[in-house]
Amino acid sequence: MKSNKIDNSRLKAWSSIVFRVGIGISLTLVLIGFILLIYISRSSNIQPFVKLEQIPAAIIISIGIFLLLLIPIIQVILSIVFFSLDRNRLFIGISVAVLCLAAISIIVLLV
Amino acid sequence: MNEVNLWWLGGTGIIAGLLGSMLGVGGGFIIVPILTLALHLPIKLAVGSSLVAIVANACTAAGAYTRSGFTNIKLGLLLETTTIPGAIVGGFAAAYIPAAVLSALFGLLLLYVGYTMVARMYSASNNTNAVIEPDTSGSRLSRSLSDSYEDENLSKKITYNVNRTPAGMGAGFGAGILSSLLGVGGGVIKVPVMHLVMGVPMKAAVATSTFMIALTAATGAFIHQHYGNLQPFIIAPLVIGTVIGSSAGVQLTKKIHGDWLRRIFGIFLFMVSVLMFLETVGIID
Repeated sequence: MKSNKIDNSRLKAWSSIVFRVGIGISLTLVLIGFILLIYISRSSNIQPFVKLEQIPAAIIISIGIFLLLLIPIIQVILSIVFFSLDRNRLFIGISVAVLCLAAISIIVLLV
Repeated sequence: MNEVNLWWLGGTGIIAGLLGSMLGVGGGFIIVPILTLALHLPIKLAVGSSLVAIVANACTAAGAYTRSGFTNIKLGLLLETTTIPGAIVGGFAAAYIPAAVLSALFGLLLLYVGYTMVARMYSASNNTNAVIEPDTSGSRLSRSLSDSYEDENLSKKITYNVNRTPAGMGAGFGAGILSSLLGVGGGVIKVPVMHLVMGVPMKAAVATSTFMIALTAATGAFIHQHYGNLQPFIIAPLVIGTVIGSSAGVQLTKKIHGDWLRRIFGIFLFMVSVLMFLETVGIID
């Protein structure tokens, strides 16, 4: 079992980039949707459930939320790539197992 | 269902992000009680919304922690192999457990967390001076989980091994159930177990727990979406507020004495837990 420290620190650096870029993109979408919601509703008091005229705002916010929830899963995929480059079979297996488990929750969402 | 005020939701997110980052908790302990007690939203909707806000909070903090090198990604991934199944079980269980039982369970959890805060069983600032030397007698897995980071306070590189991984994995399963069932991060279990049982330095334990919370809460949120517990108009102001509060909290932590804040927050949690019990038994509405 080989563990390459250079790749470990590179993994951390790339992981940080994915977190920060991911939160930036998803937060921007949620913010755009939120501003659109206030513009359409013309009120700060709203019903929690989506009305017909609010659908565009709901779609943009939902895409932002979906991207936000995908960030940690992208992190796992990134780990698989790095451990593959490092030829660390133990952690390739662990990362793939984590990805499969996370995929179950997405499959549940889609079913 | 009553109308909700977007600014109240945004304010809730700011408070959760601010206190969450200052106290080293996910923020669910603040979001769920405010959404249910003050804004009168159903607890299942509050739990689903809280999980998404926790993902936003955890991703914001994890970006900074991984850049500093505190996060032990290998350990986080290993523990996730049991934490995610726990989150899936908790997510399904939440759909079938009556709301009153969920409220009572949340009240019990608040009592426990309040006690740990007042008694100072763990804290983000606790034991930062400890230097854990690498343990060369550990197993192969333990050695492969070893990691290091630069501690600016000590001006020293801290290297450590990870011990008792089976205990950590067992605790991870429990933390996953707790997270999805009650809409919290589960850091109240993960951080003490990693630090006290597995021998991980406090800074690394908090950072690794934050990394894990993002994945665990995201998994739980997908399950809650399946049951219709994620409403975009409730989540949007919460997420925006949480990220703003979390960013401000990181800056404030450097200026405010954490111990007093932690104790006051612990007493606050005691009071909220009593309110949740009273609501559960129907004494207050």
